[in-house]
Formats: sequence, C-alpha cells, structure tokens
Amino acid sequence: MPRISLQKVTMRFGDIYAVRDIDLVIKDGEYLTILGPSGCGKTSLIKVISGLWTPSEGRVLIDGEDVTDVPIEDRQVGYVFQNIALFPHMKVAKNVSFGPRMQGKTTEEGKEIADRFLKLVNMLDRLNMFPGELSGGEQQKVAIARAMASGARLLLLDEPLSALDARVRMDLRYEIRRLVKELGITVIHVTHDQDEAMSVSDRIVVMRNGSIVESDSPMRLYRRPNNLFTAYFIGETNLLEGMVSDKDDRNILVKLRDGTDIKVGGNRHFNINDAIVLSVRPEYVYPAKEGLSAKVVQVIYMGSYWRVVTRAKSEDIVEYNIPKHHEPPAIGQELELVFNRKMSMVYRRPKEGISEAVRLE
Amino acid sequence: MSLTKRIDDLSSRRDIRSGWFGIITFFFLAFIILPTVYVLIYGITDFQNLSDTVLDDPETMSLIWGAVFTSFSLALLVTIIDLIVGVPMAWIMVRKEFRGKKLLDTLIDMPLAFPTAALGFSIGIFWGLPIDAPVPPGALGIIASPYILIMLLHIIFTYPYMVRSLSAILEQIDQSYEEAGMTLGASRMTAARTITLPLFRAGLITGFILCFARSLSETGGTFIALITIGQADKFFTGPTLIAWFKRSTLAPEEVEAILAVVSIILIVTAIIFLLIIKFVLGRINVPFDKVWPRWERVLSRGMVPKAKDAISFVWLFAIVIIPSFFIFAYLLVPSPAEMDWSGLINALSFSFMVAGVVTLADIVLGVPMGLYIARHRDKKLAQIIDSLVNIPLIVPTTALGFSLALFWTSQDLVTNITFLVIMAHIAFTYPLVVRNVAGAVMEVDPSYEEAARTLGAKPFATFRTVLLPIVRSAVLAGAILAFTRSLGETGATVAVSSEANTVPVYIVNLMNSGDYYLAAVSAMVLIMVSFVFMFALRYTIRRDGGGY
Repeated sequence: MPRISLQKVTMRFGDIYAVRDIDLVIKDGEYLTILGPSGCGKTSLIKVISGLWTPSEGRVLIDGEDVTDVPIEDRQVGYVFQNIALFPHMKVAKNVSFGPRMQGKTTEEGKEIADRFLKLVNMLDRLNMFPGELSGGEQQKVAIARAMASGARLLLLDEPLSALDARVRMDLRYEIRRLVKELGITVIHVTHDQDEAMSVSDRIVVMRNGSIVESDSPMRLYRRPNNLFTAYFIGETNLLEGMVSDKDDRNILVKLRDGTDIKVGGNRHFNINDAIVLSVRPEYVYPAKEGLSAKVVQVIYMGSYWRVVTRAKSEDIVEYNIPKHHEPPAIGQELELVFNRKMSMVYRRPKEGISEAVRLE
Repeated sequence: MSLTKRIDDLSSRRDIRSGWFGIITFFFLAFIILPTVYVLIYGITDFQNLSDTVLDDPETMSLIWGAVFTSFSLALLVTIIDLIVGVPMAWIMVRKEFRGKKLLDTLIDMPLAFPTAALGFSIGIFWGLPIDAPVPPGALGIIASPYILIMLLHIIFTYPYMVRSLSAILEQIDQSYEEAGMTLGASRMTAARTITLPLFRAGLITGFILCFARSLSETGGTFIALITIGQADKFFTGPTLIAWFKRSTLAPEEVEAILAVVSIILIVTAIIFLLIIKFVLGRINVPFDKVWPRWERVLSRGMVPKAKDAISFVWLFAIVIIPSFFIFAYLLVPSPAEMDWSGLINALSFSFMVAGVVTLADIVLGVPMGLYIARHRDKKLAQIIDSLVNIPLIVPTTALGFSLALFWTSQDLVTNITFLVIMAHIAFTYPLVVRNVAGAVMEVDPSYEEAARTLGAKPFATFRTVLLPIVRSAVLAGAILAFTRSLGETGATVAVSSEANTVPVYIVNLMNSGDYYLAAVSAMVLIMVSFVFMFALRYTIRRDGGGY
C-alpha cells in the first residue's frame, strides 16, 4: 500500500523556486490536503509527486522505493485536473476505460471496469455521452472515476472543485471523501479553499512561498495554529498588536497599543517586553461591562448570525459575532470587548510587519 | 507484439525520443533549410565567377535589377490594395450575420483553389489583349500595360490571405470593447477606428507578410499571363526572369551564374524587407487619439456604411471572382479537330505522384516538428526552429528551387529530376504543415496529455489516442494545403529543371508553343482537381471545427 515520502524535494525554474526543500510523509489511506494561496507551489508539488515533473533536487519515495526516475505512466497514480481534462473526442465509457486499455486489458475488461467505477460515482446512465454533454459536476465525477479505474491506489486531486458552482462543489467534496474512504485510497488534494480543506481532510499541510508552513489535523490547525499565517489563512481571526507586560507560570499579560491589558492562557515561552501579535477568532470575542473599548463601524447580517465590526481604541479592527435573534448594536455605539483567554493565541511579532507576514501573494 | 505496441514501449525511453527528434531536426536543417539558402553560400564561394560573368555585365545587371524592382513594387502595391479592400470585407465576415454568409465565405476562399497557372491564363484573356490566343466572348480586353495586368492577377490570389488573417484577428477581439466605446458616446466609426483597429496589429502583420511573400514568389501565373499578351520576353518580375533564363539558349554555366545572382538578390532582399515590415508595422504609432466626432458620426450613418459594404462586394465579384472563372468561357470556343490527351495525362500522373509523396513526407516529418514547437515554447531550440520554419515561406519559390537544385547537383549528390522536384516541393510545403499543427497543438490544453500519461499511456500512445484525434483536422488541413500548393506550383519546379513535367509546367509549355486550347483545357482540369481537394478541406474543417 502506498506510503509516500518526499525527501528534500525542490523544483526550480531558472532562479525561481516553485517548491523548496519539502520533506513530507503521507500515510497509507490518509486524506491529505495541501492548502495555500495561489502561487504557493502546491500544484508544483503534486506535479512532482505524480511524475509529470521531475524534481530539480530531492527524492520521491513510494512504499520506500525511489520513483524519482520512474516515468509517469508506470507510477499508477490517479490525477484529477482542475480543468477536468476528459478527452473531448471520447465518450464517457471510453474515457473511463482508457487507463485499463493502456495497461493492456481487453476491450471487454475495460468496459467492465468502466461500468464498475461509473456506478460508484452514480454516472452509469451517462455511459454513452460525450464529456461536452455533461454538466461541470458530472464531468468531474467521471474524471474521478477515470483516475480510479486505472487501478491507482494514490489519487492526486489538483483543485478538482474550483471550476464548479458553489452548491455542486459542496456536494461533490463529501462524495469524493466517502468514495476514497470506501476504497481505502490515499489522497493528496490540493486546494486554496480553506472550507474545503477543513471539511474533508484527515490532515492539512499549509504551504506558502514554496515551503510548508505547518501540518496538522483540521481541528488542531483551527484551534491551535503554530503560525501566524495559518491563524490568518484558516478561518477568520482578529490580529491585535501588543507586547508582553507581565507573566506568571500559567498566563501572560499582553498590553495593547492603547494600554489595555489582556490576560492570555499558556504561552510561557515569551519574555516580558517581547513584541507580539494576539490572534482571537471572532467567535471568541464577547461584549462585556469592562474590557477593550471599541466603537461599532459596521454590522453585517450573515444569515445564521450577525457580524459586528468594531474599531478598538488600540487602533485594531476587532470583529465578533452575535446570535441572529439578538438585537445588533447601532453603528457608532461604544462598547467593551473581552476575549476567551484559552482560545487566544500569541505569536512573536514578525519583523517584516503583520500585513507582510500574512500576505497571500 | 504489434507494431504500435512496440513503438509505444520504445517511446517511453528518453534516449529513443531524443534520437527521433534528432533525426527530425537533422532532416529539417540539412534537407530543407540548408538547400533553401545554399545559393547564398555558393555566392560567397564562387563570387569571382559570378562577378566575371554577371556582375560586370551592366546590361544583364540592369535587367536583373529592373525585374527585382518590379517584383517588390508590385508586391507592395498589391498588399496595400488588399489591405484597403480587405478590412471592410473582414468586418462583414466577422461582425455581420446575413443569409448566404456561408456562400460568401466559400467565394472568398475560391482563389486559393485556383492554381495560379490557370489564373494567369484566365486573367490574360479577360483583361488583357492576347496576341494570338483565341478570345472567348465576354472578354474585356482593356488592359494593355503588363504591370497593371500582373497587379490584377496578384490581387486575386493574395486577397483571401489578407481577408482570412484580418478576420482571424477580428474574431478574437471582443465586440464588447467597441460597444463600451459606443455607450461612452463614440460613433460606430470612431469606436472601430480608435478601439478595434489598434488591437488589429497582429493580424495586419500576418496578412501583410503572407500577401507580400506570396506575390513576390508567384511565377507560373505571372509567366503565363505575360505569354498570353506576348510580353514574356520583354517584361520581367524576379521569378519570371529565372523561369525565362532557365529556357534560354545561353551556355549552361552562364545561365547558372545569372540565376544564382537573381536568386541571391531575391532571397536577401525578401528576408530584409520582411524583417523591416515586421519591425515597422509592429512599432509604428498611428495617431489614433484624435477624434472628429461630427465627421465620423456622419460617416457612421446613412448611406456611407452601406456604400462601403457594397464596394466590398463589387470588388469581390468584379476583380476577384469573375476574372478567375473566365477561363471556363473557353468551353464556348470551338475546339480544334484533333486533341492529344496523352501529354496531359502524363503530366497529371506526375503531378499527383509528386504531391502525394510530398504530402506524406510533410506529415511524417512535419507533425512531430509542429508538436515539438508547440510543447517546448520555453526552450531556445524550439524558438529558433520556430523562426527557421518560416524561411521557406518567405523565400520566393523560384529562388528556393534553384538554390535547392544547385545544392544537390553541386557535389553530384543527386541529379535525378523527380527527386529534386520532390525535395523542392517539400521545402516550401513543409512549413504549412508545421505551422498548422503547431498552431492547433498550442490550443490544446496540455492536461489532456498529462491525464493520459497518469492513466498509464506511453508517450506515443498518448499522441496516438489523445492528441492526434483532437488536432486531426489541423493535420488534415495542413496536408491538403500542402497537396494543393504542390499541385499548383510552377516556379520551384521550373527552377529545378525545365524538363520536369508537372501540369503547371505542361501548361506553360503548351502556351509557349501556341497550343492555347489544350492549355485552357489542362488549366480547367487542374482547377477542378484543386476544387475537389479544397472542398474536402472545408468539409473536414467544418465537421471537426465546431466539434466539442
């Protein structure tokens, strides 16, 4: 069973590094998502894993065997493309049986396999249609069936849903997960959509500028990101600048720019006077009698809740949510905000400044 | 193991792929590019000889310079006229919907189906004053000047190239730009002039170069039109000068020297001139900003646009279509009692054999090359080959044919005329196939091939089962273009040898010996054959074109 390991993989075009020094191990049967903003090198990385590109440096191992020089066609990896890439001149059945036929199976065997996999994705009734006659979502289902029908035990999904409508995208992502878990296939899924990554993955690898930022389960990455970029990129968060003004063995005290002190749990590795960034997700910010003074600048109706945008006295923009059946505050209203101590994260303030550290491109 | 399976497996090996590509590149450089420009090398090594026999002979030189000047001024004039009448026609074809548009589309391409040798005859008897060819009823016979006659001829066969390149670009330009301009208060003409026309430049350059090169290169039709009006030994263009000297009774060494000089001058000036055109047209900045709202509004409304469209149609019929088809009026001329068909049948079978072999070679060697150019655009080698491929398109075919024959016979490598004719025809048709295939492959998303590879298809299997079916119509189009061009070519054939008996050469010979009726019949047969292929071409493109 495939266990993929990348060792110091680098892909370079002239002086430009698409990916740099990547070390990564993917377990058998794991659903791994590579998440990052566009241009971060995530597609380059799976092109290297697939064998479409040969890495400039480093090795790709599948089940402990170096496949760096094994041509693509012999790697047995399924690849699903962003633009779907169903062969336009072949009917659905022929598209799906392409892999088996290329491996020397007879036409009958190919047909049988195509039927089986089309049935899995509920596309059996589209057998005799050309790709152009199907909707986007249907096409992508066929493309997934095609990739799996080649007998691949490793499926690479290159932004498979980004060309589809929002609704179809939601349905299809759960369907893909159900399918691959049923078949026990290892998946590497590349996306820039953090909702998609959160909802389907066993593990997410966050990438930026050709390198891995961090990797962990969706829940850990959302609740306890190790990195300021991750905190910003996954989910929504408020970033407040400040410095450590005091600490004991359980908490640290953060002084914001207006002098307000905020107590934050953990984070014992900071010293007094360290410049830091405080990250709190909107759902962990609450109005209270006493706290950080802020003025409401915008109220947005989000359907299931209200989003309140405030400008704090410390000059930071702070957003929080209130339940939909509550009366939202008026614009211009002044209020006090407190943060959930356990769910507040503290990061060393990046030298290049916050906006540079979380910039997406 | 079957053959395709074996090739599939071999194609998986990198060394085999490199080796195959090496062979293709070697063939291209050694058998197409080198022979095409060989005469330049010859000019340097044998300079003394050329200088003694030709360059120091003021009479010959003035003849040569006169012919070359005629060729260039004619090509420039023809191209500019094409441009003026081509823009409104391209506009009609792309931006207007009307009944009979398909028919108009076919009519515009018509001149491409006419072998120029047949066109030359048709033009000569329609506009010109033939010396002793029988004139069918309906001929105008009003043009005495050979220059104007040749100009009218060249306008016909360059016209489709201009309209086609202009409409290809116009089609890419979104009409919403123009509409946005109009919602902002520009009249239709102002919008077209200030918004769409500046975006046109690429099509302009392509159209310009195609027309110019084609006019510069044309031999057969020009020569025949001149024979018809009895001017073939008095009025010369560069290519007809080569054709004329090739048949002259001078000593072979002297002829070779003269032809070498003409070819060198033609090749060098053609390349320089086209580089200049590319450079100048690409950079020229016409002051598009100035607007005359009142006048342009007047010109955008009422009778003016209608008159412009009407003139486009009149031009198409009066200048292009009717004179081309006039040769069929020969069916009204009483035929001579005895007709010898054997010559025509021989010529036809020779022409078909040549065109067939040429097309086959073009496909086998040109398709991989087009594929390579399209898929390796970031590599230096591919870019160099990409530019080199255009050389045989620019070099006048007569000069090309002469240069090529000189190359093969110089070291007594090969003297077989059939072989030489085939090689010459491959040289100028090869770029047509490569260009077509490269253009089509560039349009195909590489992920189709990548998908096939990840599904286990070897490189050759990927090409065979995925890429080739998608670009099939482009390959076919290239092949049919190559076939018809080979069938209709006079210049390159004559320059290789005046004894190579293809149909166009046979027609020239018949004209020279005063056998006008048979010449007309042969021309009509050639037209019909070309028509069949042209319609096959349109059929394949239309069937595949809108496809998926």
